[in-house]
Amino acid sequence: MPGVDHCLQEAMAIPGAVGASIVDYTTGFPVAMTGAAPNSDHEAAAAGTADVVQAATSRSLYLSAMPHDLLEDLIITTAGGYHLLRMVQTDFDSRLVLYLWLDRQQGNLAVARRRMQKLAADLVAR
Amino acid sequence: MSPVDLLTRAAGERWTGALVVGGHPGGTVYLVEGRVVHAESPAAPGVGELLTSSGRLAARTWQNALDLGTSTARVGRLLIEQGHLTQGELELCVLGAIYDAAYFALASSSAPAPAEFLDRAAHWLGPIVHIDPAAVLRESRRRATLLDEIFPDRRVDTAAVIPVPRPPRERVWLTASQWELLVAADGQRTPADLAQLLGRAGFATVQELRRLAAQGLLELPEVRADAPEFVHLPRAGGTAVDVKRTPVRVDERRPAPVISGSAPVVSVPPLPVVSVPPLPVVSAPPLPVISAPPAPPGPAPPAPGGSGSPGPAGPSRAVESAAEPGTYRPPGLARRKPGAKLPKDLAAEPPPIHPGTDEVLLKRIRTALRALR
Repeated sequence: MPGVDHCLQEAMAIPGAVGASIVDYTTGFPVAMTGAAPNSDHEAAAAGTADVVQAATSRSLYLSAMPHDLLEDLIITTAGGYHLLRMVQTDFDSRLVLYLWLDRQQGNLAVARRRMQKLAADLVAR
Repeated sequence: MSPVDLLTRAAGERWTGALVVGGHPGGTVYLVEGRVVHAESPAAPGVGELLTSSGRLAARTWQNALDLGTSTARVGRLLIEQGHLTQGELELCVLGAIYDAAYFALASSSAPAPAEFLDRAAHWLGPIVHIDPAAVLRESRRRATLLDEIFPDRRVDTAAVIPVPRPPRERVWLTASQWELLVAADGQRTPADLAQLLGRAGFATVQELRRLAAQGLLELPEVRADAPEFVHLPRAGGTAVDVKRTPVRVDERRPAPVISGSAPVVSVPPLPVVSVPPLPVVSAPPLPVISAPPAPPGPAPPAPGGSGSPGPAGPSRAVESAAEPGTYRPPGLARRKPGAKLPKDLAAEPPPIHPGTDEVLLKRIRTALRALR
């Protein structure tokens, strides 16, 4: 029975994972977190994550290109790491995103993305 | 003791129970051994409302779980055990609901709210998550700051939402959720009503409303003195009864007119009745009013078993009221020509707004009815 903590543990088991959290992107608040965060500050990281998601959903036009389009994930690559944001689609009203920070050397982006897809789906059994 | 101080103390001394915050909107924070396990506020839709209004759970399923688990405080556990929800879904839903309600209970009101701690009180949902109260407090305050950064006017959070009839600019940008809010806003619904109606978190609703207000798309509420904004008071419109009317007193000495008492009189044509001086009516109190006119027997003989038309009742009543001094008469309105406008003092008064059907209430009734099936 995967709960939130279990989901984050699984995320940390992805090769190269440094830190993970579930962020409410309306408020920029980490409802759950584990491991490290950029600048060792999960809350600041969450606020930034929320800004990125907001930018992609409401301030850019990618999503309105097609009706009923849905944001699935956002990937930000830096010289030192990968940052994966996977939207958690719940039926009830919640605007949540699963965030994973991967080490650039040890992480495999494709693998991590697949695993994140499954984790986000299992969390809400979809 | 302020709610925040009480919560800090409850956390420090590992209390179990419910912190009830009064005031406006107020709310309740439930603790188990000093950790927050649940929170509720009238301004934030609860877990059940979020799950059923989105269609995630059938209202029946939810009601069933309530019936079975409320007394033992394990409604949440039951829903998971019966396979209606995953652990993750319920945890996320409860987490969201806690922070949502906590903001309204602890940080949304600038006025100090009364608070009390009910020892050992437990929530029927049962503990699903445990959160450090300090984190809840910090986040609640942060949310208040977030809102003020968008548009620093707290009245937007509680007053009825009224979209401006004409946008202040040529081109208006709306997100999907802002659109939903504007479409659902009927001028009566408060942000709490809208959150319930749309099954949306209270904070998310307020946040979008502040954004709309910042864009100038909402009528700003005027300052109202201590009015309970969560209650819709009926609008002070005109009543059917004139306030200057003298109170009606029942005169016990006078018997009420009885029509059936004098059958033949009833069928007397009304014309002679009016012309008769009202002498018998007033001077003979014990006499029934209707039976007064028999003095002038009409040219037409009384038709037995007539249709019983109450013809004489009208004129004779008019005669009576004219004779009685101090009887109230409503002020007559000047006759208007067809199509003429209403007099100014009447036209200035806005037409009474028909209170819209309370969809939230209807929804609840539907939920309850479904549960009965």
